[in-house]
Amino acid sequence: MSQLECLTLVSFFAFIGIGNLSSSSPESRNVAQRGRSNIKFRAPEETSVVIALLALIGFVGILRPNFLQMNNLLNLGASYAITALLAAGLVYLLALGEIDLSFGWILNFSAVIAGLSMISGIPVWISVLIGVLSGAAMGFLNGVLSVVMRLPLIIVTLGTASVYQGTSLISNRSGSVVPPIEITDQFFFRFFGGVIDTPIPFLLVIVILVIILLHLILHKTRFGYRVLAIGSNVEAARLAGIPIKKIKIQVSMLMGGIAGLGGVLFLGFRGAVDPTTGAQVLLPVVAAAIIGGTPLSGGSGTVIGALYGALIVGVIGVGVVFLGIDAVWSTLFTGLVIIIAIGIDQLVRIRRKRT
Amino acid sequence: MLRNKKTVRIALIATVTTALVVGTTSTSVSASQAAQKKLTIGFVTHVVGNPFIQQIIDAAKQAAKDLRVNIIVTGPSGAEADAQLTAAQSLVASGVDGIAISVPSASMVSGLNAIIKGGVPIVTFNLLQTGVNAPYVGEKSVESGRILGAAIVKKLGGNGSTGNVILGNCFPGFPVLENRAKGVKESLAKAPGLKILGPFDVKVDAAANFAAWQGLLAATPNAKALIGLCAPDIASLGKVAAAAPNSKFVGGGYDLTTDNLAAIANGTAYVSLGQTPFMQGYAPVYMLVDSIRKKIKLTKQFLNAGTEIVTKNSVQEPFGLRPLSFSSLQKMSANPAISRAYYRPLVKGIIKDWQKNLEPISAESD
Repeated sequence: MSQLECLTLVSFFAFIGIGNLSSSSPESRNVAQRGRSNIKFRAPEETSVVIALLALIGFVGILRPNFLQMNNLLNLGASYAITALLAAGLVYLLALGEIDLSFGWILNFSAVIAGLSMISGIPVWISVLIGVLSGAAMGFLNGVLSVVMRLPLIIVTLGTASVYQGTSLISNRSGSVVPPIEITDQFFFRFFGGVIDTPIPFLLVIVILVIILLHLILHKTRFGYRVLAIGSNVEAARLAGIPIKKIKIQVSMLMGGIAGLGGVLFLGFRGAVDPTTGAQVLLPVVAAAIIGGTPLSGGSGTVIGALYGALIVGVIGVGVVFLGIDAVWSTLFTGLVIIIAIGIDQLVRIRRKRT
Repeated sequence: MLRNKKTVRIALIATVTTALVVGTTSTSVSASQAAQKKLTIGFVTHVVGNPFIQQIIDAAKQAAKDLRVNIIVTGPSGAEADAQLTAAQSLVASGVDGIAISVPSASMVSGLNAIIKGGVPIVTFNLLQTGVNAPYVGEKSVESGRILGAAIVKKLGGNGSTGNVILGNCFPGFPVLENRAKGVKESLAKAPGLKILGPFDVKVDAAANFAAWQGLLAATPNAKALIGLCAPDIASLGKVAAAAPNSKFVGGGYDLTTDNLAAIANGTAYVSLGQTPFMQGYAPVYMLVDSIRKKIKLTKQFLNAGTEIVTKNSVQEPFGLRPLSFSSLQKMSANPAISRAYYRPLVKGIIKDWQKNLEPISAESD
């Protein structure tokens, strides 16, 4: 790849950050609302992220037309679907003003539990349910520990991450869990693994449906309003009678359940789970949520934005391969775009608060 | 607000214009390349930034240069199997003609077999998953463990030696490393007075690896030998020995990176086995290009990359290569061009006749 292409890429990634800032904050929406009170249509807050995503896809597609093939785009979507799912769950925690560092290992251990259940003879769908519920239980434990010990979730999950990792390694004896062919020939694996051909990968369809549900819960239910209220001003929420501890435990449990779902979906998609599955998901998932428009400060969040953020992370990751960027450079480019996008977004938020 | 919108618009126009200009240039380059039908090989490693893996990558690039093909090297920065598989799938979608890939995880198997079924040939190297329907280039992992164990026993005084031996594995459960551990234990078992402690998880990250070995020695200060199974171990053992000069343990491990050879040179580590990274990088690219050009179908078989045995006083290279001094080996570890010149007989011999040198996949763990 030429130096001019490299420079263009970096400039373009700076644009993503600029594009992300224009309407991603609640303050900007409020200003827009006051200025346009007579106009009924309001562009969704994720518009800038969508534009950035489409522009990024278009940019890579101009340089490498093969990138725009529908098979490739759908495969990219499927490959990053679980990242999107986890990012959507993380939005709830970020909106609450918290963060969970253990969800990667919850995903791993849930997948291991589901896989070992299947191998031991438990029916596949029951094992899937066991895996999801195990994730929810681990999330519940995170929440309870955080409330009982009166510690931020980030501190508690520093410890529980190792607990879940260690327990997973003991369970799978530090090896991969690979269900035998008589199990992977069943519908669950054939469907999620792509053996049964569908126009859109089923994994992607399921994740999108879950994300829509999570979006509706956050913005249309009392539970969601409470989450946002706590994240906006915890003292005001307490004075308003919102049960903060209960909500915190519920959100942690939700995140655990989503990670558990991610684990069983991974098992179905790839047909196996390894000792290191989930070990490296933390950074891309957090990046997806933040690039999608959810601030670290709490009080607001966009679940749909997290989906687009995950796709942006995916397009960057796949784009560097398509553009033939050498492995030594690709990490630099990936990190640069994330830092630029998050940094510009944060700088604009600070400037807006001052004005 | 209005200023931000203007900024966004200007950025959008500037970027689209630049993309069109660059895209036109790229398209014309791509068109001319397409006209020449130059093969493109994707080379996907399980990690980047690792000195041993870099030796493999350097050899792969040498092969691409010799064979006049394009090569795209990619891989995750951390050992992330799913990202590695996605990278391979992306390379296929981008139009590569073949893929060489290390396979650290069972979860990659079905995806790679789908790529093979789709008509893109694959050769695996360095890390083996027997479920992948592709040839594998690597060491005989159990046999190399036996060689390492035997070297340690000999250094400790032969089959009558006694004492504790600590075994460390940076990636417990991984098949190649478990095979190495099996081989080491087989050799150590010939000295019944030696008690094997472990294998313990000594982590892959350099800092965590050093800390793990330091902790293990602190727990068993009278250990006679510390044996690692992974690339970072020898350098760590050297630092541990330097920090504990009263401890006289014998350090043994794997791979001939610059750091590892430095530890052997200064006497803080005793022996390191190499797995001929040149073969593991050069041979897969050669096999892919050869199979594509000559329309040879690739099947699940094993090409032995050989084992190198290195102490301060002795360098034993496989396949009858000419003797090498330790200082020459040190220069080679840091210079791909010197490696290429030294291993030229392999390129003209075992690599060129790769089809004749293939063995059943089970031979990898013989």
